Amino acid sequence: MATPATERTVSLRETGPAERGSRPDEVVIALSPAFAGEFTKTIVDLPHAEVLRQLLAGIEEQGVTARVVRVRDTADLAAISHLGAKLSGSGIAVGVLSRGTAMIHQKDLPRLSNLELFPQSPLLDAEVFRKIGSNAARYAKGESPEPVPTRNDQMARPRWQAKAALLHLKEFDCIEADRGPVEVKPVFELSHA
Amino acid sequence: MDTRLVVGVDVGNSTTEACLARVGPDGAVTYLGTALKHTTGVKGTPENADGAVAAVREVLARAGATVGELHTVLLNEATPVISGLAMETITETIITESTMIGHNPATPGGEGLGVGVTVPIGELLGDGRDSERPVIVVVPHGWDFDDVAATLNSAVRDGVDVVAAVLAGDDAVLVTNRLEKRIPVVDEVAAVEKVPVGMLAAVEVAPPGRTIRTLSNSYGLATVFALDPAQTRQVSPVARALTGNRSAVVIRTPTGDVTDRLIPAGVLELRGAGKTLRVEVDAGADAIMDTLARAQPVDDVHGEPGTHVGGMLAQVRDTMTDVTGQPASEIAIHDVLAVDTIVPAEVRGGLAGEVALEHAVALAAMVSTDRSRMQAVADQVAAELGSSAGVGGVEGAMAVRGALTTPGVDRPVAVIDLGGGSTDAALLSASGETTAVHVAGAGELVTKLIASELALDDREVAENVKRYPLGKVESFYHLRHEDGTVEFVDEPLPPHVFARVVVMTPDGLVPVPTRHTLDAVRRVRREAKRRVFCVNAVRALRQVAPQGNLRALDFVVLLGGSALDFEIPDMIADALAPHGIVCGTGNIHGSEGPRNAVASGLVDAYAEEPG
Amino acid sequence: MTATQPAPSNRRTSRRTEILDSRPVNLDGFVEEWPEKGLVAMESDFDPRPSVRVEDGRIVELDGRARAEFDFMDTFIADHAIDVATTEASMAIPSDEIARMLIDPGVSRRDVLAVTRGLTPAKILDVVKLMNVVEIMQGMQKMRARRTPANQGHSTSARDNPIQVAADAAEGALRGFAELETTLGVVRYAPLVAIALQVGAQVGRGGVLTQCALEEATELELGMRGITAYAETISIYGTESVFVDGDDTPWSKAFLASAYASRGIKMRFTSGTGSEVQMGNAEGKSMLYLEIRCILMAKGAGVQGLQNGSISCIGVPGAMPGGIRAVAAENLVASMVDLECASGNDQSFSHSAMRRTARLMPQLLPGTDFVCSGYSGVPNADNMFAGSNFDTDDYDDWNTFQRDLQVDGGLRHVREDVILQVREKAARALQALFEYLDLPPITDAEVEAAVYANSSNDYPLRDVLADLKGAQSVMDRGVTGLDLVKGLEATGFTDVAENLLTVLRQRVSGDLLQTSAILTPAFVPLSAINDANDYAGPGTGYRLQGERWEELKKLRHVTSATNPETEVS
Repeated sequence: MATPATERTVSLRETGPAERGSRPDEVVIALSPAFAGEFTKTIVDLPHAEVLRQLLAGIEEQGVTARVVRVRDTADLAAISHLGAKLSGSGIAVGVLSRGTAMIHQKDLPRLSNLELFPQSPLLDAEVFRKIGSNAARYAKGESPEPVPTRNDQMARPRWQAKAALLHLKEFDCIEADRGPVEVKPVFELSHA
Repeated sequence: MDTRLVVGVDVGNSTTEACLARVGPDGAVTYLGTALKHTTGVKGTPENADGAVAAVREVLARAGATVGELHTVLLNEATPVISGLAMETITETIITESTMIGHNPATPGGEGLGVGVTVPIGELLGDGRDSERPVIVVVPHGWDFDDVAATLNSAVRDGVDVVAAVLAGDDAVLVTNRLEKRIPVVDEVAAVEKVPVGMLAAVEVAPPGRTIRTLSNSYGLATVFALDPAQTRQVSPVARALTGNRSAVVIRTPTGDVTDRLIPAGVLELRGAGKTLRVEVDAGADAIMDTLARAQPVDDVHGEPGTHVGGMLAQVRDTMTDVTGQPASEIAIHDVLAVDTIVPAEVRGGLAGEVALEHAVALAAMVSTDRSRMQAVADQVAAELGSSAGVGGVEGAMAVRGALTTPGVDRPVAVIDLGGGSTDAALLSASGETTAVHVAGAGELVTKLIASELALDDREVAENVKRYPLGKVESFYHLRHEDGTVEFVDEPLPPHVFARVVVMTPDGLVPVPTRHTLDAVRRVRREAKRRVFCVNAVRALRQVAPQGNLRALDFVVLLGGSALDFEIPDMIADALAPHGIVCGTGNIHGSEGPRNAVASGLVDAYAEEPG
Repeated sequence: MTATQPAPSNRRTSRRTEILDSRPVNLDGFVEEWPEKGLVAMESDFDPRPSVRVEDGRIVELDGRARAEFDFMDTFIADHAIDVATTEASMAIPSDEIARMLIDPGVSRRDVLAVTRGLTPAKILDVVKLMNVVEIMQGMQKMRARRTPANQGHSTSARDNPIQVAADAAEGALRGFAELETTLGVVRYAPLVAIALQVGAQVGRGGVLTQCALEEATELELGMRGITAYAETISIYGTESVFVDGDDTPWSKAFLASAYASRGIKMRFTSGTGSEVQMGNAEGKSMLYLEIRCILMAKGAGVQGLQNGSISCIGVPGAMPGGIRAVAAENLVASMVDLECASGNDQSFSHSAMRRTARLMPQLLPGTDFVCSGYSGVPNADNMFAGSNFDTDDYDDWNTFQRDLQVDGGLRHVREDVILQVREKAARALQALFEYLDLPPITDAEVEAAVYANSSNDYPLRDVLADLKGAQSVMDRGVTGLDLVKGLEATGFTDVAENLLTVLRQRVSGDLLQTSAILTPAFVPLSAINDANDYAGPGTGYRLQGERWEELKKLRHVTSATNPETEVS
């Protein structure tokens, strides 16, 4: 979606421990330990800046506010997303791993359940992240969005299965046990490539 | 005559029912039990014998009797009708020269009215642009929202009078949130590249919860575009098409137009009572049904060849040919039910996938068949069981006898059997004469109306909407039923029903994939049932009632699967109440509910006149 | 593929590099090893060293770990998989000596088993690490349990269309698959598709065994009812943490295995290299070490066999150096502890046809109990196991490999007229059976489509709603395999009814519980008991010769030697 000559980068400024929100019109975006830190792009080289920007845009377009939280003590997507949902004033959160795998969660659901799951990280592009943000916001508003269509590709296995495993292990390495979630403020910058 | 064991067997479209009874020498009947099996093969064909035999064996086994003790098996003469369905839209909305965009995106940006000349965003900052006139910016696919906002802001700083914008992507709120000057923005215009450039246009966005005021008003359009009375008359369809929208774009092109035209659907030709009457299908269902009433009894119905209605009836005849094996030329349509309906359809020439609610007519048609081969079924049953078997009576006449076993019912009594394809009525007069009729249209038509009005692709969902009450899942721990009551649950509800309108099926909650509210879905469901079942109940009863006078009927008993529906019996009772009729769901033998009426009617008829 | 290509650099590249870069193999993914985390095929410094210590008839130390530190995998293996009586003696034999026994034609399979039943996971790893891929194949040739190799096929449908499943199962059975497996897109369709698979299989070739991969409870129920003949998708893992994540233990899996055995139903477990690291719980051990723990767990649970060869995780070892050697080694290990081995080759593996073929060779050349588990008997787009390494498009290539190398991969070329005939019969039998069972009708147009179809797109659409209701009624009414027999008999498909009845009778005799059992066309169970692998060097063991070799000489187009102006097929 970005016009060709420009690329955006993001840095996450920690603003303090993540608190439970009270606004019913907010969606929390919960990021994994290495997102936009140790790693800068997803398994298919989509910059994390773009992932985050599109998630935020999808939420903002629906007139809902967003808070971004970094989870540090787990790299399990369900745990990250569920924690985000518990911190969210609306009870809705989007969790996202560095490699791109994402999930929409709700606080009253069991941790291992979810509202929408996007397990095939190689098939998630900017447009899908926009729709994920948009759907999360619509759940927060009490609407019934059609689930974001998920794609499938049999040949993703030979190409991406091992890299996904590697990225998973790397993300686990970035876990900081006993450190609670922090609220972060994303700062986007434009760089001309 | 000594005491005899007899079984009445009713072969229906989907189920085969059996009723076992002992008939005493005096004709006294003792009912011993009932059984229910799936019908094998198409009703009225020899394949029915397998299901009939299975039902007989089961009812005997339940009563501890053997085939050897059985005196005779009595089969029904099947209702000699088969039905078919077709639907055609009869109106069409066309936009020419991309005159307007009225698709109502979920999230337009800004608010107010902007009138200016359309300019592509790529040319906004170029040289030689006309900076004097107000500008409406058109943004194609591939532009990032941050870039759009930056470009517009810089144009405004350069003195360009940007008054509105039209976007391809879902970015309107994002862009307006980043603008230094607030303007109305309409987004999600998929075919934005077709917006004519350099034309005078108007963009209007209403505040949340409101609808536009200027562009949906003919004089508003006249004011904005300085139109004379003749031109105003010409644009009034545009204003009408935009009524109720929160946002809209109207572009003034030399000959652009929005038309709401009638599709020539053809003429329906009704032959009956020695007359041939013709009615235009696009005159609507009421006109068709009025004409039909004047041609009773109908011998055949034809559609004008080469027109939509010709195609519809040809489609019905083809289906009949498949089912009966009769050539299409021999198939005579004896009744039709026409129902007006609304079908959401994409507007031709639209730029944003606009959907207009078009009018359509649904037709259920019914054909008499002479191919019922119940005698063959009876012969086969007799051969397999080694007992005698015969056709004991005509379905409608038997049903009304069975209905008489419902406590509180007396002659004259009429029954209504609400089936899948046809609605059947029969009357047993005080003097013991029976009259039976069949009219087109029943459960399948209701399903079709629900599916098309709610734009459901999945017949299973439409079927569920028809059968079960609705609810709305408001959180993981509570849902609101369609009557407004709230139910709390202990275990969280499954995620796929979260925040959705659901059908409360016996297998659990099933989400209805629709943007409509629960109330809207409920309204569509009830209207569909009313237009088919209530209309047909009255229509069929009029045909059996003496002189067509409903007041001459005392008792009406509802039978068949639809009589078990959670609301249809009440709806029909309400519809008949003004005629002073006692109407309710049958309870055969005081215990079987609306089932087994035909099977026990067969036994009773036998007891009166043992063959 | 929506994958992004590596960022283009500004440096000029040669034309040759461009061509090489566009080759399909470069669409596959390859990664470096990371042994500390278990991202390594089979050679890792972080795997335990072999050791065993027995006290009072109990293993108290296993691969450097004392009993007090055992996780439940260690406990299960020590208590149920390793022969306590012989373990210390077996473990004392140097690994290179055991490796040589594996490839030495002069040492019988039985002699090797006497040693391997006392080995610990680390010792087995130590042995196979010494073997190159040719030695692994030589070991497999001797250690495979059943003398006659066989193959397994998949018959599924992207629309879960039962007619397609029946027709493709019939063709697959005719082409030679000894087992056929199906699974579903919409799980509620399972009863109809399982029935279709069974009917199609028995039409194609009497005695073919069928299964339907589902969640464990339903899979067991279909088996107990006799609608399916065996089970395979009971997954096990090499670390305690992955087991626990799936709410399972070795004991719960063993319990499930005994449920099948109690009804005389053949079953095997499933495992494979890469699954633990894929789930991030490899505990720093190599993929093959963890897989060997699975193999011994299966052995300890008393099941007769195992499906392994990485299976659905093939992309992980496939991306590692030596990964496909490790996959060949895991198949060998299953065979060398006397388990039936259904050896993988059953998932989309590579964009490169050459690489797909190379990956097959370690199983095809020596022969395994089931070379593929399975081969896609439908086009991969219809394969609901997410695609296989080989599909229907590859039938002629496979037949040509067999003819070129004179090896038996379990399939054969069949003339089209014969194929069309069984496809039609399968569709007709299913049509009749559905009508008998009062299931949604199958039209003549559908039967016609089934005869000539390639994929699910070639069939008329079914009324899914009616089918799902029919499927539910199969479960509600308690329809069993015997009802299928009755229906086939009543509708005139007496031969098919007899085939199915004979398969069902195996439940009573229990012969299919023997290791590596399949049924011949004469319904003789062929297993490690009556068809034991007796390879003892050149000229011994299974030889592709005689009638079977004549059969495999046939291809679609072979020029006649008698009249070179014509072809024979």
